[in-house]
Amino acid sequence: MENGFIILFGFTMLYLATTSRLKAHIGTLSVQGFLLFLICSLAFKHTPWYMILFLTLETLVVKAIVIPMFLNKVLKKTHSNRDTDANITHFYCLIISSLILFGGLMLGVVKIPSISMINPICFGIALSTILISLWLITIKHKILSNVIDFIAMENGIFLLSLSVAKEMPLLVNIGVLLDVFIAIYILGLFVSQINKEFCDMEVAHLSDLKDYEYND
Amino acid sequence: MINLVLILPIIFCVFLFLVKNKTTNNIAIVSYSIIHSILGILYFLKPELIKNTQYFALNSSNIVFYIVLSVVFLAVAFYNIPYSKNMEFDEKRIMRYSIMTLIFVMSMTGGILANNLGLAWIFIEGTTLASAYLIYFNKTKHTIEAAWKYVFICSIGIALAFVGIILLTVSQGNMNTLNYSELYQCAKNFNHFWLNIAFVFILFGMGTKMGLAPVHFWLPDAHAQAPSPISALLSATLLNCAFLVILNVYKVLICADCVSFAKLMLLTMGVLSLFVTSVFLYHTTNYKRMLAYSSIENMGIIALATSLGGGAYFALMIHLIGHSLIKASYFLTAGNILEIFQSKKIKSVRALGHVDKKTSWLWIASCLGICAFPPSILFISEFLIAKEMILQKKYVLCFLFLFLLTIILFAMARVVFAMLFDDKNEERFERAKRNMPKMSGLMYLPQAVLLTLAFVLGLYLPKFLQEIMRNTIVG
Repeated sequence: MENGFIILFGFTMLYLATTSRLKAHIGTLSVQGFLLFLICSLAFKHTPWYMILFLTLETLVVKAIVIPMFLNKVLKKTHSNRDTDANITHFYCLIISSLILFGGLMLGVVKIPSISMINPICFGIALSTILISLWLITIKHKILSNVIDFIAMENGIFLLSLSVAKEMPLLVNIGVLLDVFIAIYILGLFVSQINKEFCDMEVAHLSDLKDYEYND
Repeated sequence: MINLVLILPIIFCVFLFLVKNKTTNNIAIVSYSIIHSILGILYFLKPELIKNTQYFALNSSNIVFYIVLSVVFLAVAFYNIPYSKNMEFDEKRIMRYSIMTLIFVMSMTGGILANNLGLAWIFIEGTTLASAYLIYFNKTKHTIEAAWKYVFICSIGIALAFVGIILLTVSQGNMNTLNYSELYQCAKNFNHFWLNIAFVFILFGMGTKMGLAPVHFWLPDAHAQAPSPISALLSATLLNCAFLVILNVYKVLICADCVSFAKLMLLTMGVLSLFVTSVFLYHTTNYKRMLAYSSIENMGIIALATSLGGGAYFALMIHLIGHSLIKASYFLTAGNILEIFQSKKIKSVRALGHVDKKTSWLWIASCLGICAFPPSILFISEFLIAKEMILQKKYVLCFLFLFLLTIILFAMARVVFAMLFDDKNEERFERAKRNMPKMSGLMYLPQAVLLTLAFVLGLYLPKFLQEIMRNTIVG
């Protein structure tokens, strides 16, 4: 059951890689958040109930509801609906991300003796999620897409922390929360400011500061 | 006392938020800087008063970093008094600037004092949160660009460092701790493969924050766009905090006896940082960007010294102290030049020696200091590093190190001397002279003190300082 959700989580990354509508991207983040909530509630068996409650509630509220809601608000404010000018076409995006995901799944199936401490499928999918997100950040042109891919990467990292069979200290969970806080407040805030200042959300506009010519 | 240093800025922030007064802002920052320094002094005079807690400790491994932060913050706090008076913003905005400065310093202090890797990570993340606003403070097109790059690149870096922390717990097997002393004690039992991978992630993640090439892209933009006192803090203290985390994890690898791969990584990033600086510094048109590239160079030297080990460990601590003192002075002096000439363009600043003699002396002394001219403390560190390279028979590396340093020295000196002595344009000269009333004694004194310290330490390094520097690596 748990592995099914994890694989489903992996497939959401394929959807993220192949669609250009930002609203669909945000919807995918919401689905990822819900899947993480399900994985999280099934993953811990020997943890005190209050820890499980904190983790699952944090995942559900922040990742599945608050972040997508906030991003939708930014989307409405900035009127940017699609990221159509990615450097690579959707077809190749699908192929490359499928290959990375396949690699992650293989890592989960082939048992490496030194990774006995971790859930291999979870580990493999988490690594491929991080890789796909990092790659997507490099090929997308809209600032908001970059933020969305960054949050997808954060989700991958959260899955990675869940893949460790032993319990992670509470501190680490607070760390994840803080990361989310950065994603929402700082990135969201800057996205609005950039939109106000540049009247567009293209990453290309943010290349004014250079070494060879003075334009400050 | 240790809790006080972390709680006090929060109390000050609430107070500043309620009062909203320019003078109170400065009083709060200066008082915090003094209390901050008192804790450092207490470490030597009355250590029992410090009262280390479960999560925070001032000990032999972080005292050097703490003292450097205290000294630089003290200088910046005093410089900030006239600087904030010259700001043409409303009180609310200056209040926000002061609050964020306090939170920024508090986060750096927490990052240094934390004796737990997870906690240090959270505080380093906190520094991003506070300093992003400070970089964005002038609210122009360029500050937004710089702040965006800073937040985005550093957030990805910090996220990767978090992956490294997760992998570090994987390497521990049945153990589950992020406490430094426990990590050192049990490092022998860790899985070497996972430990190396964890180090790669932490090095790249924290290396982003530290400004090591090839993950340094945010640094020249952010340092150049931030207000000068913040640039000084970013360069002289924030980079050290990120390095402390790398150093602590590196020590785990030393204890686990699997340090060869980590050495190679540090060496590569160090040499690459020097190379990137030598290439870009030669072409830069903005003097604040020049200083930012110099920070990348010095972080590269520190990474290089860490990879060498042996005698270079001592050299790296000297270099860390020297760089922080001199670079803080350099950035604050750059702030003076910006106040006078109202431009960051190198070609717009000419005949500085005629306009403001004191600033020009500070500018040239900072340049000589950072270029490691004797008796600068950096001369000792760079000499020791080169010596260690020869002792380890790494002749090619030593040649490359000295060659790149020479290019950097030439590129920087060329700019500095052109700014000081080049032809006098009457119109520009008069315009600059009109800004002179903005300058006050406190815009020279902190740099003079920092530079004096850097040059005196180059001539005489007290025994107690040598001892704590050695203990930083061993402790």
